[in-house]
Amino acid sequence: MRLLRRAVFVGIVALVCGLFAFPVLWLGLTSLRPQSGVYYVHRGTELTLGNFVQVLHNERIVQAFVNSALISTLATVLSLMVTVTSGYMLSRFRGALSRAWFGTIYVFRCVPYISWVLPLYFVTQAWGVYDSYPGLLLPHIAVHICFFSWLMKGFFDGIDPSMEHAALLDGCTRWGAFVRVALPAAVPAIAALAVLCWLFTWNEFLFALILTGQRTPVITVVMAQFVHEMGIEWHLMSATAILALVPAFLLTLFGQKYVIRGLRI
Amino acid sequence: MRVAALGHGTEAVALQSSPHMMPPARRRLSEQERFMLLLIAPAAAILLLFQVVPILIGANASFRDWTLYDPKKTWVGLAHYTAVVTDRAFLTIVLPNTFLFMTVSVGASLLLGLALALLLNRPFRGQKLVQTVLLMPLMVAPVIAAIMLRWMFNDQFGIVNVVLEALGFEGQPWLAQRWTAFAVIVLTDVWLWTPWFTLLLLAGLQSLPREPFEAAAIDGAGRFSVLRFVTLPLLSSVLVVCAVIRAIDAFRTFDIVWTLSGGGPGRSTELFSLYAYVYAFLNLDFGKGSAAAMIGGAIILVVGLGLFRVLDRLVQVSR
Repeated sequence: MRLLRRAVFVGIVALVCGLFAFPVLWLGLTSLRPQSGVYYVHRGTELTLGNFVQVLHNERIVQAFVNSALISTLATVLSLMVTVTSGYMLSRFRGALSRAWFGTIYVFRCVPYISWVLPLYFVTQAWGVYDSYPGLLLPHIAVHICFFSWLMKGFFDGIDPSMEHAALLDGCTRWGAFVRVALPAAVPAIAALAVLCWLFTWNEFLFALILTGQRTPVITVVMAQFVHEMGIEWHLMSATAILALVPAFLLTLFGQKYVIRGLRI
Repeated sequence: MRVAALGHGTEAVALQSSPHMMPPARRRLSEQERFMLLLIAPAAAILLLFQVVPILIGANASFRDWTLYDPKKTWVGLAHYTAVVTDRAFLTIVLPNTFLFMTVSVGASLLLGLALALLLNRPFRGQKLVQTVLLMPLMVAPVIAAIMLRWMFNDQFGIVNVVLEALGFEGQPWLAQRWTAFAVIVLTDVWLWTPWFTLLLLAGLQSLPREPFEAAAIDGAGRFSVLRFVTLPLLSSVLVVCAVIRAIDAFRTFDIVWTLSGGGPGRSTELFSLYAYVYAFLNLDFGKGSAAAMIGGAIILVVGLGLFRVLDRLVQVSR
C-alpha cells in the first residue's frame, strides 16, 4: 500500500515535470534538426549542431547577446537602486506623501502597456535616445518601478524598524540608518528581486521591439525576426532560443535558493 | 503584522540633524518630508519622464482625431470614448473575453502554483531537480513560448495532433476554433506564470512559523484540515497580493495572444489590449486606440481595487 502510494506520487510528479519541461525540450530537439527536418521533428533521427554554428557566426545575433546581457544587468542594478529607496519610504513613513506615492504607483501599474509604448517611441525619438542603451534601459526601469516598489515595501514591512530607531537615537542620520541598518537586513530580498528583474528584462519583448532599431539589436527581437512572411526559420530560431536560455537557466539554477529565501512578503 | 511608522516617534531626534537650509520664501518642508522626497526622487523622476509623459501624450491623443490623414489633430472631445463603449464587438466579445481570460488564467495558475509549492515544500529525493524543472517557464521569453506553443498546436505539423492521431483521436484545428484557441492561450499563460506563483508561495510557506503546525499535529489534525485551517489562513496575505498583481497583468496581456491567435479566428479571442493595438497600430487611428487603452486602464484600476478589498475581506473573515 505504501509502495503504491509512493508510485502514484512519483508518477504524478514525473507527469507534471514532463508537461512543464516539454515545450523547452521540444525547442531543444528542434534546434538540433537540420532545416529540412523541422517540419517533422518527431520523425527522422538526423541531428546536427550546424544551426548553432550558423547562429554564432551571425554578427548581429552575437551583438544582440552582448546588448541584452548589458541592458539586463544595468537595468537590474539601476532598478533596484531606485526601488529600494522608494519601497523603504513606503514601508517606514505614513502620511499624505506616502499615500500619494503609493496611489501613483498603483495607478501607473494598471495602465496598459499599449497606451504607453507608442507615445514612448515618440518621446525617445524627441529626446534623441531612441535605439540606444539609455533609450531602452530607462523605460525598463520605469516598468519595474511600480511593481518592485510594492514588493520592496513588503520586504521592509517584515523587518523590525526598532534597530533603525536605535540608530537614530544614537545620532545616526536618517540616511545613515537606512544605509547601515535597514539595507543590510534587506539584502536577501534584494538578491531575490535581482534574479527576477534580470530574467524579466532578458525576456522582455514589446518594449524592445518598439524602442530599438538597427543599432541596438536585442535577443528577443532578433529571435522574433526569424518569423517573417516567408514562414518561420525554425532551425535558427530554436537554436538562438536555446542559446538565450543558457544564461537564464544558469541564473535560475544558482539563484532559486536566494529567490525563495528572499521573496517573503 | 503591521510595523510602526518610523516618521512619528523620532521627530525630535530627527530635527536636530537638519543641516540644510531651505530658502525662506516657500513653506519649509520638514526634515522628514525632505528625506521622504529624497528617497522617492530617482524613481519619481524616471516614472515621470518615461511613463507619465508618454501616458499624458496618449491621453491627449484620445481626445483628438490623431490619424495619418488629419495632420491638424482636431479635438473631438469624447467621441472616441463613446465610439468604444458603444462598439458591440467591444462589449460582447472583447470585455467578456478579457474577464474570462483573467479569471480562468489567474485562478488556474494560482491553484496549480499553490499545489506545486506545497509539493516542493516537503523534502523528497530529487526535490532540487523537480524544483528546477518546474521553474523552467520563467527562463523562456514569453514571445518564444507563444511561438513554440503555436507550433506545437499547428493543425498539420504540430506534435499535439500527431500524438492525438497516433492515439486514435481526431486532430483538432486548435487555433482555428474559438474555444480551443482560447484554451491554448490560457494554457500558455498558465504555463508561463505558474512558476511565479510557485516561487512566491514557496517563499511564503517556508517563512511560516512552526508552532501552529506542531499544535495541529498534537491535536491529530489530518493533512487536509492542516491545509484548510492552518496553512491557508497563514498564507492568505501572500495569496491576495499575488493574485491581485497577477490579475492586473493578466488583464492587459498582449504578446502571447497576439503571437498565438492574433485575436482570431475572426475577432473571437480578442482581448482588450489587442483591441487597442489593432486600432492604434493597424488601423493607424491612434486616437481611438488610446481611448480604448484608457478605458481598459480605468476598468482594471477599479476592478483591481475591488478585488483587493474583497479578497482582503475574505482573508479577515477566514481568520
